[in-house]
Amino acid sequence: MKIRVGALLLALILCLSVFTACGGGGDADVHVFYYTYSDTYVSTVRSTLDSKLTEAGVSYQDYDGNGNQTTQTEQIRTAITKGAKALLVNIVNTGSDDAANEIVGLARDAGVPLIFFNREVSDTVIKSYDNCAYVGTRSEEAGILQGEMVGEYLLSHYNAADLNGDGVISYVLFKGEEGNNEAIYRTKYSVEKANEMLMAEGKKPLRFYDTSNKNGYLVDQNGLWSSAAANDYMNTILASNNAANKNMIELVICNNDSMAEGAISALNAAGYNTGGNSPTIPVFGVDATEAAKTLIKNGKMYGTVQQDAVGMANALALLTGNALDESKGLMDGTETLSVDDTVRKIRIPYGKYVG
Amino acid sequence: MKIKIIDRFKEMDKEERRVYLRELLINNSLYIFLVAAIILIQCVNPRFLSFPSIINIISLSAANLPIALGIAGAIILTGTDLSAGRIVGLVACVSAALLQSSDYVGKMFPNLQTMPIIAVFLIILAIGALVGLINGFCTATFHLHPFIVTLSTQLIVYGALLMFLMIGNNNGQSLSGLDPTYTNFIKGSIFSIGGTPIPNYVWYVLVITAIMWVVWNKTAFGKNMFAVGSNPDAANVSGVNVRRVIILVFVLAGMLYAVTGFIEAARIGSNSAATGLNYELDAIAACVIGGVSFVGGTGKISGVILGVVLLRLIFVGLTFLGIDANMQYVIKGLIILIACAIDMRKYLVRR
Repeated sequence: MKIRVGALLLALILCLSVFTACGGGGDADVHVFYYTYSDTYVSTVRSTLDSKLTEAGVSYQDYDGNGNQTTQTEQIRTAITKGAKALLVNIVNTGSDDAANEIVGLARDAGVPLIFFNREVSDTVIKSYDNCAYVGTRSEEAGILQGEMVGEYLLSHYNAADLNGDGVISYVLFKGEEGNNEAIYRTKYSVEKANEMLMAEGKKPLRFYDTSNKNGYLVDQNGLWSSAAANDYMNTILASNNAANKNMIELVICNNDSMAEGAISALNAAGYNTGGNSPTIPVFGVDATEAAKTLIKNGKMYGTVQQDAVGMANALALLTGNALDESKGLMDGTETLSVDDTVRKIRIPYGKYVG
Repeated sequence: MKIKIIDRFKEMDKEERRVYLRELLINNSLYIFLVAAIILIQCVNPRFLSFPSIINIISLSAANLPIALGIAGAIILTGTDLSAGRIVGLVACVSAALLQSSDYVGKMFPNLQTMPIIAVFLIILAIGALVGLINGFCTATFHLHPFIVTLSTQLIVYGALLMFLMIGNNNGQSLSGLDPTYTNFIKGSIFSIGGTPIPNYVWYVLVITAIMWVVWNKTAFGKNMFAVGSNPDAANVSGVNVRRVIILVFVLAGMLYAVTGFIEAARIGSNSAATGLNYELDAIAACVIGGVSFVGGTGKISGVILGVVLLRLIFVGLTFLGIDANMQYVIKGLIILIACAIDMRKYLVRR
């Protein structure tokens, strides 16, 4: 008897929660698919886009792909059968074109406009369907800007940065995820750009702190770009590389701001980067999250690369409006934005942020 | 004791001695591997066994120990707990939100005064205990396997966490800018060895481990837990309230995850929905490496500690050696597999 009452209660709660959940969605015209809700930057895009769409009086529904391409593709199929009028897709799998092609195929068959955003798909994918576009950044740009900030900082503070005075800056780089294009480009171009600037001024190129590591980076093994991974690595590194051993890390480059925060937390524990007059190791990130901006303001972090979430949401809202209005072409009104010459890809520029 | 073993060894004939030594070698192969690995890493990078490095290994292990101690209880009951990592994540975010410094710009609750640490600690203990209670209640009352129950609660907790992160003016951002009294309480150091500070949370974990040792070994509840784990029917017949034991084990586990999350929030300094993801897998791995068997009813606190330390040693060691991260997965997988095979072998011999 006891068990039955419990089960009944559970069922009741379930029914109630389903009813309350229905209140928000309804029959939406625009369906927005996010690769994961747990990504900080994508959350900013989501809340900005949500308010833009509400402002424009468009009914929409958001989905969480939870980092799984299969889940996302199934969500898209379901949305199409529900009668979606526009699809906004923040694709999960950027490693190959297969997933994107399948989604394009689904949209084309149903005749629904399709807009990819944030995580880039290849030009051939966009070109394969007339009612398809991409809104995002230029993947190389974040790394290049980060490298420029590193180069600028080092050229103006070289002797202060070279703690052991050996004429070489030893650095560590934390990579967010294996097999992700953004991570690969950021890892590659940040160091390349910084080296290019250093060598142009007759300085030696950066040296990875551990010469036996041929990759030149340490990666979050869970692929989460997480502060915890950077924190664990940084603690471990500081155990062997410190001022006492005259091989202290002199520069920290991170694929995103979360990892920068984790690295700074470890540096803090070792007495570095606590703000004020404490010795400070320059730490660089990407994303310009609120947390990173505060760290920069307090002198605990040096620079980050700003992604323009509002700019991205504005461009997405514009394209969505075009998609829903039969009298307009998908790319109407994008003249003021930076669009690629040969393909329907809108590029939201990155910016340097040093406070 | 030692003399006795030597005497017995002397009495054996050649064949018996061979078997005895082989068994000794196999049963202790994990320790032998551990020592060999330490020597190898030390040869390649002599800083491996320096004070700062050892303290680093201890602190990393300490941060991962409470969750493993919690999950060990569930494994002793032949169950498991998939919700552990998400509970850590939820608790870490709640702790961070309630203990953000009052002058932080992106504060989640701008009007919230800085709360006393102890109050927040009690709140998050209650959250952990509540999820644990749901886990235990469903397992015991509906006779569901904990795998299913915690698979479900894991999702519910994650959903709650995502909703929580959208509250106030937070908009899904990661939670940082923690109050310095909180970070000092966890990360600060009142004691150093050889100029290397030991973070405070190591001591808290030490106390918690001691408490858990007493709970497991010296209380009626601990004895009942092992009894229920090895044979619930027999335990029931001999007058143990099986249902209550199961619920209590999960409540206790939930509280230990809460402790992990409370430490993790300050240790890492930045908390998002990804915090805690998959932590339960490392914790389960640590338990089984340390001989907490899925067969049920067996396990020791010292085993859990060994498992946690071994996993951290692999992480630190391979970072010191500069070995590719890909290899780390392979090595971790092999160690878990071998450790469990050896463990099962012991169990079969005993039967």
